Amino acid sequence: MPEWAITVLFLLMNGLIWGLIIALIALGLTLIFGVMGIVNMAHGDLYMLGAVLAFYLLPVSGSFWIALIAVPLITAVIAGPVERFILRPYEGHPAVTMIATVGISFILQQIALATYGGIPKKIADPVDFSFTVLGVSYPGYRLLVAAIAILIIVGIYLFLYRTNYGILIRASIQDRQMASAMGINVSSVLVTTFIIGSVLAAIAGVLAAPISQVFYLMGNDVGLLSFIVVIVGGLGSLGGTLIAALTLCSLEGVLASVLSPTQAKAAIFVVMIFVLMVRPRGLFGEREG
Amino acid sequence: MQRERVYRYFALGFLVLLAVLGLVLPTGARSLMIQIMIFGIFAMGYDVCLGYTAQCSLGHSLFFGSGAYACVLSVMHLKAGLLTALAISVGTGFVLAALLGPICVRLSEAYFVIVTAIIAAVFHLLAMDLVWLTGGDDGLCFSIPSLKLGFGDLSLYKPLANYYFVLFFMALTYFVLARILHAPLGKIFVAIRENPKRALFLGYNVTRYKLIAFVVSGMVAALAGGLYALTLRYCSADYMGFYWSVLPVVWCLIGGQGTLVGSWIGVALMSLFQYYVSAWFTYYLLLFGVLVLIILSVSRKGILGYIASRVR
Repeated sequence: MPEWAITVLFLLMNGLIWGLIIALIALGLTLIFGVMGIVNMAHGDLYMLGAVLAFYLLPVSGSFWIALIAVPLITAVIAGPVERFILRPYEGHPAVTMIATVGISFILQQIALATYGGIPKKIADPVDFSFTVLGVSYPGYRLLVAAIAILIIVGIYLFLYRTNYGILIRASIQDRQMASAMGINVSSVLVTTFIIGSVLAAIAGVLAAPISQVFYLMGNDVGLLSFIVVIVGGLGSLGGTLIAALTLCSLEGVLASVLSPTQAKAAIFVVMIFVLMVRPRGLFGEREG
Repeated sequence: MQRERVYRYFALGFLVLLAVLGLVLPTGARSLMIQIMIFGIFAMGYDVCLGYTAQCSLGHSLFFGSGAYACVLSVMHLKAGLLTALAISVGTGFVLAALLGPICVRLSEAYFVIVTAIIAAVFHLLAMDLVWLTGGDDGLCFSIPSLKLGFGDLSLYKPLANYYFVLFFMALTYFVLARILHAPLGKIFVAIRENPKRALFLGYNVTRYKLIAFVVSGMVAALAGGLYALTLRYCSADYMGFYWSVLPVVWCLIGGQGTLVGSWIGVALMSLFQYYVSAWFTYYLLLFGVLVLIILSVSRKGILGYIASRVR
């Protein structure tokens, strides 16, 4: 194989793995929007929270895997009350929830800045093997990330489509009032969904921490990308979000070989504008009733 | 019509107060007032979008920042005069809003907020990247020419001249916007805000009127950006940052959306808050976030909206 083909192949692979991480974040975003109409601007900061917590837990626990279990639990404890006591009154008004979550986003970022500091830091790869494909050595941790992300996505799918609680969540997405009338405890469904969405973002943060740098503003870039993904895939559509995340991120990965990172992002943005011009509700978004 | 009268008296009183304050205030406080007036222009423009047609845009920093850049770059490279530079600012705001508006305004509420935020964020990234043009994060410093009036020159380096220059534009913007909003066009905006479906049934092209509001608002934001750059003699990519998109929302929420001038109260309070709090508390944005949550939970009518609703 010629040199450039190998380069493109590896960029594609990096893009796909990054796409899986973005997919985790964007799935949480779209799930939260679908069930309670919250546009969560703080979602990128939950990702940052996951990475920062992992940074603190690693020296204490000594194992990356303990951090991977503990961080979601901590995030759940934080996210539950936020939904119940802060965001509940605004649900169903996307613009208002967006402003409220901007407030939460500022709070999270400043707390991280005050405690963690403003300097980017790195976490060492938790697994130390790499293998050689086509004459290029590839870090094994990235494949592990991909495997974990795929496992989680499959798990979410099974949870939503094969369990009783998943049926409750999907019923609340379709028609919240009717679900409530049928005796579903919608309040608990809402809290649970918000926690699931937030935990997904935090897990993505833990997984991404060794690959990218841990920084208190790291959520901004990722938040932007996952919002583009959600818009292209269609707000509230889980399948569309997954497809859009993988496509856009591998596209960005390949484009990064010829363009600067910002230009690659601008190219993704142009794709989004085109999609919006043709389909104002995204590729797989549902029509307004 | 009682409410409209409250707003009008408030606006005139505020403008007269500003005109008097300009003469008596010390220099430091005066420069704070200049900032408040410029943000007041920005806030009025934003209220046309948020308060009158219920389009909550999170992308107005794009217009503010590009207005500032249009002004700076035209002074630096085209050797334009002050008024020409400001006209170019407003023109840039018009072009950007007219290009991006058609894509945004037909989207549903959630898509609109997200897409405007994404657009501003991408342009912010581009402005950071194109250092040769924008100076990136460091920004551009420039010196401004003096304003040539019929009877002589006016240098904006004099604080007093700068103050009344900005006040003139604030009053001008207020009267133009108030005229537009009292005209049938403004009534259609309100009809669309109250019930877009019914407005559509009455035969109004809702998308077109939303676009008009969006463009007007973008032009005013660009004017504010231009004035801000002129006042500080400085402009950086930071003006397109997300913070500048959130500020106008907060101003309008505090002061009262849909009142045009209520946002001035929000601007004044927030500017004083920022001025004093950021001096002793490094993590000022933390309090800003808490404040946003408090404002939302207390009332979304705003201060002037509350006062006007008590006047019967």
